[in-house]
Amino acid sequence: MTDIVSIRVSAEPAGRLSAGRLRLFAFIAIAAFMIAGPVAEQVFGVRSAWLRSWTMFSAIGMGVIDASFEIRLPDGALVPLDRFEMLGASRNGRLKRIESRDELASVIKRLCTAAGQGADIRVRARQATRGGWQIIHTDAENACAD
Amino acid sequence: MPAPTDAIAGWRPIDAVAARFVGWAVDTEGSSRSSALIRIGLAMLFWSRWAGELLLYIDQSPAGLFLAVNFFMATALLFVGYHSRIAAVWAGSVGLAMYYYFGFQLGHEPWTHHHVYLLAIAALLIALTPCGRSYSLDRYLAVMRAERAGLPPPAERGNLWGLRLIVVQLSVLYFFAAFDKSSYAFLSGARIEQIFLWYYAGSDYPAGLAWIAIIVSVAVVALEYCLAFGLPFRRSRRYLILPGLAFHAIIYLTLPVYTFSATMALLYLAYFDADAVDKVIARLEGIGMARTAGEEIS
Repeated sequence: MTDIVSIRVSAEPAGRLSAGRLRLFAFIAIAAFMIAGPVAEQVFGVRSAWLRSWTMFSAIGMGVIDASFEIRLPDGALVPLDRFEMLGASRNGRLKRIESRDELASVIKRLCTAAGQGADIRVRARQATRGGWQIIHTDAENACAD
Repeated sequence: MPAPTDAIAGWRPIDAVAARFVGWAVDTEGSSRSSALIRIGLAMLFWSRWAGELLLYIDQSPAGLFLAVNFFMATALLFVGYHSRIAAVWAGSVGLAMYYYFGFQLGHEPWTHHHVYLLAIAALLIALTPCGRSYSLDRYLAVMRAERAGLPPPAERGNLWGLRLIVVQLSVLYFFAAFDKSSYAFLSGARIEQIFLWYYAGSDYPAGLAWIAIIVSVAVVALEYCLAFGLPFRRSRRYLILPGLAFHAIIYLTLPVYTFSATMALLYLAYFDADAVDKVIARLEGIGMARTAGEEIS
């Protein structure tokens, strides 16, 4: 590479030659720094505030829970349960986004209380992880029986 | 500046490629107008992102006041183009101080985001361009000096290696953004679903989201790889500019990316041949194709 620079600038004055080389070395150093950040984290797993890894939005949504609720009617049929309606909560309030297992457990407890003694509420829930979705609750059992 | 043909003729192909790369990277001179436009745009993006947060009454601590004064002085000089390259280093340094010191050290989390780093780095890189030779107070003063000396105004040209570094930075950004998403978690649509639930749907999964999420995920990763490798080359760039800009417009409208999309769109100027940008500007100004920054104005 150095030879190439020398050949490219051989017709130029000595001052220009050194400036060209200096610029090339600086270019390579800056480009190497740009590449080092993401390589360090994404390839070698080294996390540092000093290096930008360009993993945009990789942590957004972590922990959010996708949940659906059903309630058993007296005739034995399972029908979808609207948690907002059951709890008298706003659809754009805190109940909209369940962000943790504890929060889900609290919602289930409130639903069971609101449904009354002996209620049968089935909950299917999965939680966001870096690896995808993790099932944390199946509808195999009555959640109010826990 | 192309490599001498007779010199390249005797080289191995790898040497010729390396010589072309060196010529492209550090040995190209061209119009300073696209660099100047980026300089002005960056100053406006700095203000758009932080001016409201850095008004002097908001943080009256010595560190807060010091930051605010430096921010407004550096960005004002960057905008008007007075000692433009020094102002760019100053503004970039302020951006990095906000990112590293106020963001990571003092725990001001919103300042640790990627859009902050990108703005700061872009300002530092534009300092390596002739960004003050056009559309600037520096230019005005240079023209005045030349007139007083009875000389023609200096040409609006310079070495464009700073623009090349911006190209490298954008390609690195796109490549590693795609590389990070090249996993089952993302390509299965799960990560897009999670982000959608977080910002829009809450914990109620909308019907029909699964297939849309898979399609969007694959399209995003494919596009980012294409942008990483395709935008630097003229032949592929013509097909990628609009998808790239549309991509950034969509994420600007749908996600809290702050100035990231606008910064990326502005930095797209670095991909274009500076003299070609100059000719477009000349046509827009009604000057015509002949009289551009490369020519001295008599």
